[in-house]
Parts: sequence; structure tokens; C-alpha cells
Amino acid sequence: MASHMKGFFKEKKKLGISKAKSSKKSPKPKHSATCGSDVVQPPALVSHGSLDLQDEYDDKEEVLRQFDMNMAYGPCLGMSRLDRWNRANALGLHPPKEIENLLGASIVNSECLWDGRV
Amino acid sequence: MAVAPREVDSGNVLQRKQSMYISLDESFEIRKEMYRGQQYSQIYFARLHLMRTLLYSLLPTWKPHLPSCTVLGLEEGKECIIVGTLYKHMKLKPSILDEYSKERSSSPLVKPHNFMHSDDYLVLEDESGRVKLRGSVLLPSVYVTGIVVALHGKETGAGDFMVEDILEAGLPPQIKLPLNSGEDKYVVFVSGLSVGSSSANPLHFQLFVDHITGHLGDEKEQGIAAQIVQVVIAGNSVEFPRGLLNGQNLGSKDQSRLSEPIKELDILLTQVAAGIPFDIMPGTNDPANFSLPQQPLHRCLFPGSAAYNTFRSCTNPHSFELDNVRFLGTSGQNIDDLAKYSDGKSKLEFLERTLRWRHIAPTAPNTLGCYPFTDRDPFFIENCPHVYFVGNQEKYETSLIEGSDGQVVRLICIPKFAETGIAVVLNLRNLECHALSFGTHFSS
Repeated sequence: MASHMKGFFKEKKKLGISKAKSSKKSPKPKHSATCGSDVVQPPALVSHGSLDLQDEYDDKEEVLRQFDMNMAYGPCLGMSRLDRWNRANALGLHPPKEIENLLGASIVNSECLWDGRV
Repeated sequence: MAVAPREVDSGNVLQRKQSMYISLDESFEIRKEMYRGQQYSQIYFARLHLMRTLLYSLLPTWKPHLPSCTVLGLEEGKECIIVGTLYKHMKLKPSILDEYSKERSSSPLVKPHNFMHSDDYLVLEDESGRVKLRGSVLLPSVYVTGIVVALHGKETGAGDFMVEDILEAGLPPQIKLPLNSGEDKYVVFVSGLSVGSSSANPLHFQLFVDHITGHLGDEKEQGIAAQIVQVVIAGNSVEFPRGLLNGQNLGSKDQSRLSEPIKELDILLTQVAAGIPFDIMPGTNDPANFSLPQQPLHRCLFPGSAAYNTFRSCTNPHSFELDNVRFLGTSGQNIDDLAKYSDGKSKLEFLERTLRWRHIAPTAPNTLGCYPFTDRDPFFIENCPHVYFVGNQEKYETSLIEGSDGQVVRLICIPKFAETGIAVVLNLRNLECHALSFGTHFSS
């Protein structure tokens, strides 16, 4: 688990100095995982003056993150997940229907995993 | 609609001919697009996917025996086909980062008109990676960043790709026209009117307006003018006094000076609107947005002419159909940008290249400003036009090109009217083209 420990100690910002973030539309759930595939889990970020250690993400989010990272559907940043699904559909890429259902039905993050982080 | 010329002797009223007009500008209009912070990677993805699908469908007829693979999937020495977006690395291309570079001396103080250099090289890129291209088949001077092509070749020991052959998208499919049928109907193209500039002679434009509205000449001349069914004004119709725009607040006298060119243009266009349908496109110097596709000039700028139903404000690029003849063209930014980053015999050659690459503006968004579309690339040419034009060029040039599937396209370079006094006339019946030259010299 050494790589995850690196995540804790590497990028440590002074507490109290938080980046002035532009107010986004909906409060995003804090997603920072300490387990799961390395590909979709960014290292723990210090945001809003406190260590972001919550590993709150569920299977649904995992599926959506894999969809975000899938190169076949193009870049994910700058588009909502549904828009990207619709684009993939319109271009004839046959994105899994399951993703569309997830985005419509459940309470999931509508933006990609990098949104607000880069 | 009827244009009644001032009757001198005869009691005849000449009727202007009419044509069926259909606008095809929908894909160039911004409509409900909202900027969500996306970058240009989205439009590049849309372009790559669109064109790669197209090129894959052409591979079986080109080189059916060769496998295709992604850039990352290249194996050394194995002959294959890769499809991706071209990127041209140019030494002299201006970069915003040069401002921060420590060695200031390497950047020239005087910007060259053309940024080519013998050290330029091409790179092919897809989602998986990029590879440097080698070989004499692919001349960097001909190509620019943003074109999607298929390349036949193999990976070398050095990790480059040695190109043996190239496949471009080629001319898109075209609906055949029954040429040489019907009567003579003319479309007049003009661009670079530059009303308000010191070099523009208002007499030339007035002469032009008088001619096409049938106020000049005898009955025979008027008969010819009555056959003009459409006018297309391809950009740079005004030139504002830039000296006033120095960042300071304008006094009321300066404000009225600023709006004089557009008022003058409206007065002249009202004369045109009263007699003949015309399309006006925005250009680099016009009061429209900067990045392509430029949105139509607002109607409030033309209080006089916009009252007529003959007035049509259009996007740049502009596409329309007249009596089933398909037109596509721009005000010049796309071709001028190609001239800065590649080499060609003439502007006409650049025009032809964009058609064969099936993309109006391949250098957008790299060196040509464009809107960051996410799900489409409106500059991709789906249907082959019958007439493909570009405005604001140095001189009048035209040619007729043919595609591999029997497509026939009339290419037109429309010269700047303020500098040359030349407008272009096209006959819809046979796609023949000639120049209309206006001069106001007094012979001594």
C-alpha cells in the first residue's frame, strides 16, 4: 500500500490556505479513495483547508469513473457525463445503456471525476 | 419581384428572374451551445472520430490487404495503416510561451508572413499516442495541423513511422446537377467592400450597385442585369476607424464617427435590397464575433436594408442552395491561415486542398480561432458543394475541379473589391464564371 501512503504525504498544503474555488452549481460529494483501482483514484487532496480522507464512493460511482476514463468515448473534462454519453451514442460508439440509466435514475455525480480538480 | 427600370421609350417592364433559395447555415449557428469550460480536445476528438470512421470505410478499396492499427499498436517493421490527426511542428510558429523564454534573441522582431521552415516535421496523433513521420511522400510544406489522414507505412528502428503512401478523405459525395439545362441565371459575388476605409472608392461600389439593380445602360444591359438572381457579399464590408478604438471612452462626436461606415454601407445596401436578394457574411473586420463560425451580423446594424425580405444576414462559413446548386464559402480566414502555415502555388490550390481534405478549416482551433464544440465539428464537409468560394483574396482566380466519383466543383477566389474593383459573376446554368470590373478613370 506504499503508493497510497505517498498520496497522504506528498502534496501537503498549509492548512488554512485554501484555493479560492469558484462556486459550482451542486455540492460535490468528496471522493477520495484509499482503495480500489489506482487508475480512477486521485491521491488525497487537501481541499478547503482540511485533509480529504473520505473514501465515500460506491459501485455506481466506480462504474461511472470507468466510463469517464474510457478513451474510446473521448476526453471527459469539460462535459457533463450525460452529454458525453449522448455524444458517444450519436457518434455510433454504442456506450453501455447501463450508464445512461445510472445517470438518469440514481443520485450520482453528473460531472466527470476530474471536474473541479484540474 | 419586379424591378421596374425608369422607362425611357418602351413600355416594357423587365422582370428579374427568381431562384429557389434554401439556407444550409444551421450547423454554423451557435444555437443553444453553452460554454462549460471545455477545451479544444473535444472538437479534435469529434473530428478524429468522424473522419476516422470515414477513412476506415475507404481502406478496403485503397489497400485491402493491409491491417490497420492504432499508434500505440505499431510494431517495428510491420507494414500497416494508421489513421490520425496530423500535427506539424513548426520552429517559427509564434507561441505565447516565447514571452517567458529566457533567450529572447531567438524570436525575430519582425513577424514573417509565412511561418514555414525547412526543419518543420509532421507527427500523427490519435488517442493512444503520437508518432513522428518520415519519408519523402509526405511533404511538411503541403500539410498543416488538424488534417485527418490514413497513412500506409511501417515503424522504423528509431521509433518513427516511415510513410509509403497517404490517403486523404477526398471530395465528399455530390448530388449531380443537370448542367446546361434551363436558362441563364447569374449569381454575383463581391467581398472586401471596406466601406469607410480610405482606400475604398465609394464611386466603384455605387457603380456596382447601379449596374446590378438595372439602373445603368440600355435595355440590353438591363436585360442582362435582370438575370442576376442573387448577390453574395463575402465579408469585410466595413472598415472602422481603428484609431478611435484606443481603450478610452468615446465622446459623442467620435461615437458618430465610429458608426459612419456601417451607416454608409446600409444606405448602399438598401438600394440593393430594393431590387435583388443578397446574403451578407461577416469577415475579419466586420462587427461580428472573432472565432469561427462567425455569427450573422445583427439586423439592427442595417435599419434600412433589413426591412426588406431580400436581406439575409448569414454566418461565416456560409452554405446555401440556389435552384439545387449547392454553394459553400468563407470570408477568407481559413485560406489565409493556410497560406501562413503551408506552401502552395496559389490561393486556389489551398482552396482545392481543403476540399480534398474534406474540411473547411483544418487549422482551427490550432492557429485559427474557433468555438470549442464538444459533440460535432461543423467544418467537416459532408456534401460536396457545386460552387466553393473564398472572399477577400488578392486577385480573382477560378477553376473547375473534378473528383474521383464524378463530382464537379467550381472554385472561386473573390478579390477585395476596395482594392481591385472586381466582382465575380457565376452562371448557374453551366457554372461558368467571369469577372465584373469597375473603374472610374477619366480618359484624357
